[in-house]
Amino acid sequence: MKKVIMGNHAVSYGVRASDVKVISAYPITPQTQIVELLSEMCAKGELDAKFIAVESEHSALTACVGASAAGVRTFTATSSQGLLLMHEIIHWAVGARLPIVLVNVNRAVGPPWSIWTDQNDSLSQRDTGWLQIYCESNQETQDTIVQAFKIAETVMLPVMVVLDAFFLSHTFEIVDILEPEQVRPFLPPYKPEFRIDVDTPHAFGNLASPGEYFELRYMIEKAMEKSRSVVRDVDREFEKHFGRGYGVVKPYRCEDAEYVLVTSGTVASTARAVIDQMRDEGIKIGALKIRVFRPFPFEEVYDVLSKAKKVAVIDRNISFGHHGIFYQEVKSALYGRTNVPISGYIAGLGGRDITPKVIREIADKLINDKKPEPGINWIGVKI
Amino acid sequence: MGDKITFKSFKEMPICAMSVADMTYNLTGSWRNVRPYYDYKISPCRLGCPTAENIQRYIFLVMENDFEKAWRTILESNPMPSVTGRVCFHPCMEKCTRKDFDQAINIPAIERSIGDAGLDNPKWMEKKRATKKEKIAVVGGGPAGLSCAFYLARQGYPVTIFESENALGGTLRWGIPEYRLPNVLLDRVIGSILESGPITVKTRAPLGEAVTIESLEKEYAAVFVATGLTRSRPMGVAGEDGPGVQRGLEFLHKVNGGEKAVPGKRVVVVGGGNTAMDVARCARRSGSEVTVVYRRTMNEMPAISDEIEEAEKEGVFFHFLAAPKSITRTGAGPLSVVFQQMKLGEPDESGRRRPVADGDKTFTMEIDTLFTAIGEEGNASPFEKAVEVSGGLIKIKNESGETSNTKIFAGGDVVTGAASVVEAIAAGRKAAERIGRMLSGEPEPVVEEPRTISIENINTAYFTKGKRTMVPRISVEEAVAGYREIFTGYDGDLLRREADRCFSCGVCNYCDNCWVYCPDVAIKRLAEEYEFDYDFCKGCLVCVTECPRSAISTREEGR
Repeated sequence: MKKVIMGNHAVSYGVRASDVKVISAYPITPQTQIVELLSEMCAKGELDAKFIAVESEHSALTACVGASAAGVRTFTATSSQGLLLMHEIIHWAVGARLPIVLVNVNRAVGPPWSIWTDQNDSLSQRDTGWLQIYCESNQETQDTIVQAFKIAETVMLPVMVVLDAFFLSHTFEIVDILEPEQVRPFLPPYKPEFRIDVDTPHAFGNLASPGEYFELRYMIEKAMEKSRSVVRDVDREFEKHFGRGYGVVKPYRCEDAEYVLVTSGTVASTARAVIDQMRDEGIKIGALKIRVFRPFPFEEVYDVLSKAKKVAVIDRNISFGHHGIFYQEVKSALYGRTNVPISGYIAGLGGRDITPKVIREIADKLINDKKPEPGINWIGVKI
Repeated sequence: MGDKITFKSFKEMPICAMSVADMTYNLTGSWRNVRPYYDYKISPCRLGCPTAENIQRYIFLVMENDFEKAWRTILESNPMPSVTGRVCFHPCMEKCTRKDFDQAINIPAIERSIGDAGLDNPKWMEKKRATKKEKIAVVGGGPAGLSCAFYLARQGYPVTIFESENALGGTLRWGIPEYRLPNVLLDRVIGSILESGPITVKTRAPLGEAVTIESLEKEYAAVFVATGLTRSRPMGVAGEDGPGVQRGLEFLHKVNGGEKAVPGKRVVVVGGGNTAMDVARCARRSGSEVTVVYRRTMNEMPAISDEIEEAEKEGVFFHFLAAPKSITRTGAGPLSVVFQQMKLGEPDESGRRRPVADGDKTFTMEIDTLFTAIGEEGNASPFEKAVEVSGGLIKIKNESGETSNTKIFAGGDVVTGAASVVEAIAAGRKAAERIGRMLSGEPEPVVEEPRTISIENINTAYFTKGKRTMVPRISVEEAVAGYREIFTGYDGDLLRREADRCFSCGVCNYCDNCWVYCPDVAIKRLAEEYEFDYDFCKGCLVCVTECPRSAISTREEGR
């Protein structure tokens, strides 16, 4: 059944379709509608899950950790300060190897107080061991939730699904709603190998000496590496079931492109409109959307970008003292393998709109600059 | 499980930090330097009870809803809880730890409920047969004599009680009015004691011509004397012998015996003890205007404070710091009594301030009847050839009631002077135990110095402050209109509510706190106790802190 729904509700429908058993969350703009609708679904009996209301995001994720350790499928959603408050438990979920799915609606971090989008909140959790998938449309959002559970439960790592605040969370689009009955053959009930169980008692989260800690960390990275193929396979299998696939990255008109704009999230859609316009003008330009940020898709990114003459990476985030974070990642993916010049552009922080005009400005700068600026290209800074 | 495991390769490791075997191979108890151990103390209430009732235990059994066991627990030290639950001056409550938290537990009200349950279930009383051949005589059928007879009969000794009156009970029957202790109830209590074993009763059998202490000593293996106090003490006031002046005890004897006794309109009772209160309140019930005249103040009154309070409620007036000086009569008309005003001087041997005459201040009252209730005197003359006596009382060597004569024991008021029912019961029991050991040759038990606790040892965080549960009663108007028992006693809910207030001082009541809190799971929960698993107890002593009632003690290891 198709419905016109907002991005946040697309998340809720994805959770419903996944037969989630425990949801624990604390409200925060702009994600609140996700858990609002889920709590209604629980109350009405449309979703057979325990909804645990808590007093903070730290507790929300902690409750998910407990529930997941007890062997059930769990979900939470948050934004910005809420995600940062979860930080301790973000690490815990990875170390305990719990396949939790978390939606983070990208919201700029305060102060100054802001409710609008940028990616610094989720990217600040880059090194924790969570998989991160950035969505572009409401349909993709719903479908990614379902995929995320399957990926998480296969590699035993938690997955963070990321949406832009308002540009996606509050935008209404047509979504083909997935029903749990349809999804069950694709995503069977979660059967953990080990769980908290009074009949077979084990201690969890114990002390590990230097003799074991290192190996447990090694195993997390091995799982992350294994997830490269799992993410790809799950997406393909999903496409087989439901006719929709999203890829790890999404190239657009890149086959013969001399110039490529690298984007993520909703900026990708805007960028494609600009690409079409410039192609009409005869400029050989394409766009590459990075959907899966962790594990980082080195090969996919290299395959597309190694053929280009110049590459621009548009970042709605900044690693102070370095550069845009996607820019760093793309550069490291190409390092030593090709000499294609890469320029980094920072735009749209704190929810400032990245319009087609802004993207065109970046594209023009990329094409016209003889020598690419080695530092940050700030787009639209009024100082 | 239990053995230390070693991975052959890291591939055997689970993917997260998780135990795959238990740690029981690691005997962490070896880390301990302080050892906790269950160590039950004697609750302060029990130490306060003259007959050492195991109060904590029977309150616990009430909470367990096991009234039969609760009743048996009391009967180990007191054969008449229905009586003491009504008339005891409850020194236990003075010692109750809860007194230092909110209010003492109403122990007598709980005791009474258990006692009455025992009367309603006569099967609970185990009937003992005579298994010993030595016969024992008990002289006096009051609380001390009944108690002694009961505990002797329990040991299998055939007992004969010699009672001078026509019915057993002593002061319980003749001294305590029915609104405090109904005769019907007393008859049931005495009946239960007499049925419990080989006890024969001879009433109207005063020591004198037919029976003498010497004849009993010859005929019986041992004699227990508990004749109480038989004479009211005279005031020593001019004119006290004559119409209009009566001994309070005689009046009570008549009232309790069902005789009609109308003392007149204006009545003065001289004295400040329980007898004075009983006389005053009985006189109120005959329609008199009653004034209690006491030579000290209310603070020094020896009467139970509840009794004073009830007397006031019933309309008894009090006149303090006055003592009768002279009594004059005009024909058969009213008495004219001159009272000397008193003041308090230096404390006497009892610690109370001594009353002394306040100069020559006097006042006169015109009254119809004056009751004396200033104490009773013993009459030891029937025994003075057999045992050592002093001042009308029999002298004893120890609390077992041994006298100068190895075959004769004594207890109760004939030894102590005016004391209490519970002390008489205790004396009777202790003498019975001593007589039994003497006759059987059993060794005296070794008595350890009792260890107890106080409020500082209670973890009060586990208790909510509240008030004592009120005992249901009839109204003052109903009470003063006759001799109906005033307090009707707790029902089941009230009883449980009050019992639930008990701290169970120093004695485990299976609250599970230690078991729940032990971070090392080193406490085992058995059927009726807990046990430390010293293989794993690290001596953190969380159990000691979290035990609400100080039932766990500690000692250093290796000392």
